[in-house]
Parts: sequence; C-alpha cells; structure tokens
Amino acid sequence: MRRRDFVAGGTLLGSALTVPAAWAQAQPQSQQLAARLLAPNPAEFRRQWAAFVGKAKPVEEGLRLDLPVLADNPGAVPVGILLTSPVTESVYCKEMILLTELNPVPLACRLKFSPISGTTEVALRLRLSQSQTLHALAQMSDGRILVARQAVTVAASGCGM
Amino acid sequence: MSNKPPRIWVSNLKPAKGELVRVRAQVEHPMESGLRLDTNGQVRPRHIISKFEARFGPHLLLSWEPGVTISPNPYIEFTFLARESGELVMVWTDEQGPAIEGRRTIAIA
Repeated sequence: MRRRDFVAGGTLLGSALTVPAAWAQAQPQSQQLAARLLAPNPAEFRRQWAAFVGKAKPVEEGLRLDLPVLADNPGAVPVGILLTSPVTESVYCKEMILLTELNPVPLACRLKFSPISGTTEVALRLRLSQSQTLHALAQMSDGRILVARQAVTVAASGCGM
Repeated sequence: MSNKPPRIWVSNLKPAKGELVRVRAQVEHPMESGLRLDTNGQVRPRHIISKFEARFGPHLLLSWEPGVTISPNPYIEFTFLARESGELVMVWTDEQGPAIEGRRTIAIA
C-alpha cells in the first residue's frame, strides 16, 4: 500500500467515526424525552384528589391498603384495597380511586361497586416510576370519604412504566 | 392482541348461600402506557384496556377503569357474597381492539 492511499483511508475512517458521535448527541435528547415522560405531575394529583373529595373531610378509618413496604419489581407492585367496615344496602362504598403521588399519571384506576356484592375488596398490580406514597380514597353512600395511605419503596426504576 | 382466553380462578363454584366468593382474573395485554420509547427514541403509542366489568346475572358487581399505571397483563381480584345461582360474566374492553370476555357458572350448593 502506498503512503498516499493509507492517509486517504485514514481520513475516510475518521469521518466514519464522527457518525456515531452525532448519534451519541441524539441519545441525550431521547433520554430527556424519557425523563420528561416519567416526571411526576403534582398538579394533576391535587386536581384528582380535590375532584374526588369535594367539600368532604377525608377520614382515616374503615379502609385498608395492603402493599409491600419494599417492592422488588416496580413493574408489578401488588396492591390490595379492603373496606373493613360492613357493607349494607344503605351504607356501602360507591366509588374508589387509587392515586400515586409521584407517577407521571397520578390516577392509577377508578373502581365502582354496588351493595349487591356484599363486600368491598380488590387487588391489582401497579407500575411505579419511583418510590412514593399511594393513596386510596373511597366514597361511601352516606357521603363520607375514607382514605388510606402507605409509602412504598421500589427497587431502581425508570423502566417500570 | 393475544387470542388466549382470560385466566380465571374462582374460590368456589358451588358456594353455600352467603359464602364469600373470591375471583382472580387476568388477561394477556401489553398495557402500553404511552410513556415509553422504542429503540429509535420514538414514543410507543398508548394502548391499554380501559374498562373491566364484572356482572353476576343482571347485577353489576364491579366496574374497574384501569389507567396507564396498571401493570401489563392486568390482574384483578375481587370478592362478592353468593346469594343465588347464576352466571358471572367478566368483560375487558380494549381501547382499540375487540373486547375479551370470560364466564363462570356459579351454583349455590
């Protein structure tokens, strides 16, 4: 190989190496986008809370939230919600919501019950974007709002959602 | 979506009158949150099951509206008191695809 060709080849190789550099610059952008998608939304949390509670004063009784203190899989955190007070035809839980304080979409789910069931208990699995507190709110047919809260620590996440 | 039928477990298909019956049900579904990126850095479009209803005969036992926070292959467990014989019908409504349905006949022993 002549020296001239060798040098020309090296220049080509050099320009080829700059392409991955441009690609690497694009990476932080998608990382920024991913971070923005997973950012907590405290305003939406407060809005959902206020919309559900209305003018009532939530009481911390009659509702139990069952979830691990330390969840090993942020993609499937088991959560149980149980109404401990008895269900009757006149006093029953009409509606429940489960709020996540720091998830990008705070309202995890809404549940509606009927007195026909005779009991009020559900269990489901959530994705959590980070360690945070979960709030279960129940609206009773007599106008009371019950609340139960629990903090949960999840293992390193981000891919949880 | 997957054509697999929902997985349904019922604590007792022949309960005594007034017995508490526990139901666990799960369907296969990606529950794509719309908060994830694909390998090209593009947002994967949201695709979730947005409604679940459990009816016993004419009565609605439970209505569940999952959000994007619910895990893939959504799992739901609920309870009710057996009062009469009848059919338990569960319907999962996909935002985009067809609904998924599961049934179990419950007879009072």
